[in-house]
Amino acid sequence: MIAGEFEFFAPPTLADALRLLHEHGSGCKLLAGGMTLVPVMTLGLAQPGAVVSLNHLQGLDGIEDIGHALRLGAMTRHATVGQHPLVLQHAPLLAAAARGIGDVQVRHRGTLGGSLAHAEPAADYLCATATLGARYLLQKQGSERWLGAAEFFVDVMTTALEPDELLTAVEIPKQAAGAGYSHLSLRRVEGAFPIVLASAQIAPGYAQARVGLGGVGPRPVVLDVGDVVQGGLTPAALDALGARAYDAAQQALSDLNGSGDYRREMARVYARRALAAAAAQLPTGGR
Amino acid sequence: MKALVKLKVNGRSYEVAVDTRAKLAEMIRDDLRLTGTHIGCGTGSCGACTVLLNGQTVKSCCVLAADANGQEVTTIEGMSKPGELSPLQQCFVDHHGLQCGYCTPGMVLSAHQLLQDNPSPTEDDIRHAIAGNLCRCTGYQNIVKSIRAASET
Repeated sequence: MIAGEFEFFAPPTLADALRLLHEHGSGCKLLAGGMTLVPVMTLGLAQPGAVVSLNHLQGLDGIEDIGHALRLGAMTRHATVGQHPLVLQHAPLLAAAARGIGDVQVRHRGTLGGSLAHAEPAADYLCATATLGARYLLQKQGSERWLGAAEFFVDVMTTALEPDELLTAVEIPKQAAGAGYSHLSLRRVEGAFPIVLASAQIAPGYAQARVGLGGVGPRPVVLDVGDVVQGGLTPAALDALGARAYDAAQQALSDLNGSGDYRREMARVYARRALAAAAAQLPTGGR
Repeated sequence: MKALVKLKVNGRSYEVAVDTRAKLAEMIRDDLRLTGTHIGCGTGSCGACTVLLNGQTVKSCCVLAADANGQEVTTIEGMSKPGELSPLQQCFVDHHGLQCGYCTPGMVLSAHQLLQDNPSPTEDDIRHAIAGNLCRCTGYQNIVKSIRAASET
């Protein structure tokens, strides 16, 4: 039983949910999958006056092909993201990230929007969606706005969401045909939260290459490294990439899983591994 | 604060006025008196409270009871008829897949989900499938054996 009293709402429509948010503002918590919120409320670390469940409203889940991109509803569960044919075809990096989250039970219940709005720096979706150049749709009563990762993620567990705003959808640009990708994480055991993450996407012929890092600072870091790998994945290019990742991880935080210095070293290692794994998927096998 | 929850558990319809602070696991045990669902950590780490929610495994200590309104739940009691064991449960008995038994309901539900999704799992598949269920007695070896045996029958 959760100790603190709260009002519980299960609005049937998005308009109802936005109205409740408008009325209750910062005293209210949105409940998506509850994989973080419910344990945190059980431990007394969050004591909202009202909980608005998004599990009963229609139209916030599902995956749609909108031409240049995929549009994913915020309430889409990890298990769906990880296995959906559209995601496997057009954003396989995101599918790989989803399949690595938590365990089977968590993937059945946890949601894309819940994870992104919670903004734990070492969450798989932060690193993966930032690397893919995602846009995030924030809605409130009477208005909406789209933000990129650089604007949406503000600090540790802090996003640009206002107290009366709801993250309703995420748009992921489609991966170019023949591109390579990877999503790697360092964690103690399966189901444990990642310590450091690296996602990579590389276009055919090395026309573009991007490496994203998670868990190495308050927000995801995305590095454009096309210039580094122009001549292919030579040992010198990988060293240069590692050095860039190490520099980008200056703000890495220390906790019981590892010191900031350890995370910086792991940023170097995982950035190299992620890009090499992505390059190995190119038709030329990375050569 | 109370909320009225109408749900189906193991095929039977219930209507319960629950405290909004109650978890699904607590409602199943305390209100419905189905005590096969165990609560270990209460914070989503151990998986003892695993049930099927609309046919998919979830940790019922991380779902609010009020949020189960209109949903269908299957607990360990729904895995077989009273007094009988399902073939999967029998394999746990035959292969010593339990010692103290505290994690067993959750293990059986996770194994049930695996065999539905993938009737011929590898040992690796089995170990990934129970990654969300902790057992402090068996070292997992006999649990994996039990699930493998169930997949071969």
